[in-house]
Amino acid sequence: MKQFYRDFAPWLKLLLRRRQRFFVGALLVWVTLLAGLSLLGLSGWFIVSCALAGIALAAGLPASLDVYVPGGGIRFFALLRTVARYMERLYNHNTVLTLLADLRYRVFGDLTRLDDASLKRRRASEWLSRLTSDIDNLDNLYLRLLIPPIAALLTILGVSAFIAIWLPVAAAVVAVVLTLLWAIVTVGYGWLGFANSYQQVSDQEELRRLVLDQVQASAELLSYQTQGWHRQKVAQHEAQTFNNQQRLAIKSSVGNAFLSGVTGCLLIATLWIGSIALSAEEVVGPILVMAVIAVLGINEVLVLLPAAFLKLGSSYGAAQRLNALNVNQSVTKVVELPENSKGHSLQFDHVSYTYPEAVSPALINLHAILPARSRVVITGVSGSGKSTLASLVMGRTAPTNGVIHVAGHSPWYVSPEDRAEHFALLTQQTDLFDGTLEENLRIAKPSATEEELWQALSRVALSHWVQQQPKQLLTHVGEKGQQLSGGQARRVALARLMLRNPAVVLLDEPFAGVDAETARHLAASLDQWLVGRTAIFLLHQIDDVALLPNVAYQWRLDEGRLITDTTV
Amino acid sequence: MLVVGLAWLIDQLVISGRSPSTLVPVFIGLIAVVLLRSLFQALQESCSAQASLRIRQYARQVLLDRMAALGPVWLTRQQSGALATQSVEHIEALDGYFSRFHPQLRIVVALPLLILCVVGWFDYLVAFFLLLSAPLIPLFMALVGIGAERLNRDQFMAVSRLSAHFIDRVRGMTTLQLFGHTKAAQQDVWYATDHYRRLSMRTLRLAFLSSAVLEFFASVAIAVVAMYVGFGLLGYIDYGPSPSLTLFSGLAVLLLAPEFFQPLRTLSQHYHDRAAALGAAESLVAILNEHSVVASTSALPRSAQALIELDHVGINYAGRAVVLSDVNVSINAGDVVAITGESGSGKSSLLALMAGFMVPNHGECRIDRTAPIAWLDQAPCILQGTLADNLRLAAPAADADTLTWALQRAGLAELLSGLPDGLETMIGERGVGLSGGQAQRLALARVYLSKARLVILDEPTANLDAATERVVIQALLEWAKEGRTLVMATHHPAVVVAANRHFQCRSGQLVEVAI
Repeated sequence: MKQFYRDFAPWLKLLLRRRQRFFVGALLVWVTLLAGLSLLGLSGWFIVSCALAGIALAAGLPASLDVYVPGGGIRFFALLRTVARYMERLYNHNTVLTLLADLRYRVFGDLTRLDDASLKRRRASEWLSRLTSDIDNLDNLYLRLLIPPIAALLTILGVSAFIAIWLPVAAAVVAVVLTLLWAIVTVGYGWLGFANSYQQVSDQEELRRLVLDQVQASAELLSYQTQGWHRQKVAQHEAQTFNNQQRLAIKSSVGNAFLSGVTGCLLIATLWIGSIALSAEEVVGPILVMAVIAVLGINEVLVLLPAAFLKLGSSYGAAQRLNALNVNQSVTKVVELPENSKGHSLQFDHVSYTYPEAVSPALINLHAILPARSRVVITGVSGSGKSTLASLVMGRTAPTNGVIHVAGHSPWYVSPEDRAEHFALLTQQTDLFDGTLEENLRIAKPSATEEELWQALSRVALSHWVQQQPKQLLTHVGEKGQQLSGGQARRVALARLMLRNPAVVLLDEPFAGVDAETARHLAASLDQWLVGRTAIFLLHQIDDVALLPNVAYQWRLDEGRLITDTTV
Repeated sequence: MLVVGLAWLIDQLVISGRSPSTLVPVFIGLIAVVLLRSLFQALQESCSAQASLRIRQYARQVLLDRMAALGPVWLTRQQSGALATQSVEHIEALDGYFSRFHPQLRIVVALPLLILCVVGWFDYLVAFFLLLSAPLIPLFMALVGIGAERLNRDQFMAVSRLSAHFIDRVRGMTTLQLFGHTKAAQQDVWYATDHYRRLSMRTLRLAFLSSAVLEFFASVAIAVVAMYVGFGLLGYIDYGPSPSLTLFSGLAVLLLAPEFFQPLRTLSQHYHDRAAALGAAESLVAILNEHSVVASTSALPRSAQALIELDHVGINYAGRAVVLSDVNVSINAGDVVAITGESGSGKSSLLALMAGFMVPNHGECRIDRTAPIAWLDQAPCILQGTLADNLRLAAPAADADTLTWALQRAGLAELLSGLPDGLETMIGERGVGLSGGQAQRLALARVYLSKARLVILDEPTANLDAATERVVIQALLEWAKEGRTLVMATHHPAVVVAANRHFQCRSGQLVEVAI
């Protein structure tokens, strides 16, 4: 229970920051419900009063009934219900969307603090689409699990208090039974469905995994003729999922039936108590009818609760997963690197790195020195540890053993802001954002003048192409930069890098995907830009030494070992 | 019945002044009605849920069958994450439609009619009034429908655009961190969502109006019926059936009036279920309508020694130049075949053809598929599961000893002895990570396990370092020497030397090079 609260607390706190909206929203729901109940109740009262008056008139007895006030009341409540419902929906949707912005802001903030290893581990999985649906799930918390039960409880109390004016016994029965019922369909149902709905989410995750296996191993499954074997695994899992979902569905339908059964019986009980009071002449007919009709309408207040609370487990799962993003950020970053105009020296002192959960180390006992303002090329096949090395140099990952010194300091203890200023990395995978060319370039230097942007583009031999585009710098690059060719996207990324002023530059395959002529242009621009900086080129293999002017050192990574005894 | 019974009971109590004790049987009867109603409601809901579950299970089966039939060549062109989403989330999205919307669609036709009949029996004027509003119901349904439809479509698109924006930023998190741009991006996320909020509130203001109109009509119907019955009972109205109104019939029609509109209101509440299901179904049908490319049944080779016969085979992909044309090859048992050629020359397509992953555009492809074929490419697939699961992919029935033997032969004995849980160690994303070389050796162990006579390899060592490459190539050539057939696309000179046949893919042709 404590754990449960702890996992939900940060999200509830976030929702409650908007408590004013929250209360107004609940109030509007409450008014809507009460207006509906009043409309029916008053109509019932009106009809019975009319009937009694009609009988009296027919019998020639003097009877008078003011038909205008109740008539006006009926019209008023009819209108109020419509207007309140409209306002309520609009207002609460507005709140939900505001909360969505809050939630995304917060989750994104957590993500920005993740270190390299956690990011890499997550990118590989099917985690992104989960992320948004988890956020949506928590967003729904407000409309499904917070507002309705509060409005329902208030309505129950309001109706009971109203009935209590004439029929205290019946009101007490109504209040007690409905409050109990309310507790059952909220807390009780949350508890009852918890295991099932929690299980449902992990079942879906497992199913996803199995489908991914089928897609990714399709060649193997087809050629080894083992498709049947895999499908049997899927079928087995589906059978288990089926049982779980069925149990959930049965609980839900039993819950709804229980609800309508109890409210129905309560209705009859109210009528029974009322009729005894009527025959004892403690109450008049029209009031009795009004009370009975109010109880009849109360089903509507509770009807959505059982199904919503059955799914509490899945919301909890979502909260847990999002909480998991907000861990391991306890390292205090204290060191400040010296002024970056001189380039920095690098020193690896018996550095090893093993990924969490990996059997063998990715980097083994690296020992090397790179003087300030010099350039090195490190070659190695994919998986030999080049990107791990880059991550270590930039302090994005802490070595498992040994120490790295950048200008005499361990980069792991440098603050993220300081790191961004001193290091620059051209990643192997080009990350462009869905937006214009200009927006993508300005990520590197928000204050850059238009002239600087054009200069950066001409350094990567793109200015001519951009000038030909109708929208020039405002050309859209598309999601993941898909509207550009692979080589163009890579050059935009390089131009972006060259807008900065780092001391240490790491370039992972800077010439990938470009033709020979462009590669030479890039090499010349880089040569010029790298003057006064320390540079590391990371390459699969050296195709053309001419692309690496002024590179004094050549190292090689082989299965995690750094071989430094080769020179250019 | 509950409502009518209730009205009668009230009538008896209030007007006739009967004492409650004389009406005990009626009270008990009503309780029985309440309980019966609950029972039927529960049955209806669980039946709907059951039906929806079965439909979803069936849909998933069909989809998975389809994906299997489309084969590896088609699948590599898809995003596996998107396919997983389609098979899980999109199929789940069908639930609301089948368990709620669809049954409600039937109820919306039947129930108001039934209520109309009952009301008409009590008082035809009220029934007439409700009937008057009845033609309006389809009108409002359409109104609600169009409103909700547009709302849902717009929302659907805006939401997916917004999610794309968010995911785009999260995907590029490394870059944002590298440029120290995370704070600004975080602000951006908030602004984008808030901008979306303002936009969608504009749409919602209109869209909610249509359901407000429906709500209004339900309210007005109650109000009008109440007024009519009230005045009728007072004797102010003296035409039609009004003079014969009693409290019983009056109350009954009053309580039935909202029930008349209730199914429609419920339907409009479930409308988003329909929109979600339609969106999901659209994406599912797109897959189901794809043309199958895997050879379903293939003819056996004509010659007894041949394992594969390609007869005047041509391959071309839509919108691209011909990849290969007029290929005539017969590969016999025991051959070691090397296929060389530049990247993009059609080597992979040729191998996919031989493995039965696709059918040729022209000509005939005859493959002996009585025994499994072993397949190995440059990116071996690691399943999310144990080491044993990953090996059983090639031989589901293999016992632990056989699995260990295969791992040893593939040079993974050291790895195995270092794993605390042995064969039951979880590997892949959620478990122990394997290096590229280890993964390829694991795939090699699969080849050993499969007992396949024909092994097809697509540049199996392209991503390996020199040492591992030598070991893998050597192991494969030795495996071939034990009487197996090997077809390998490769650059490796050692393979070309060891092969007894050498083909080259060159400008759309397959040429056999004399050895």
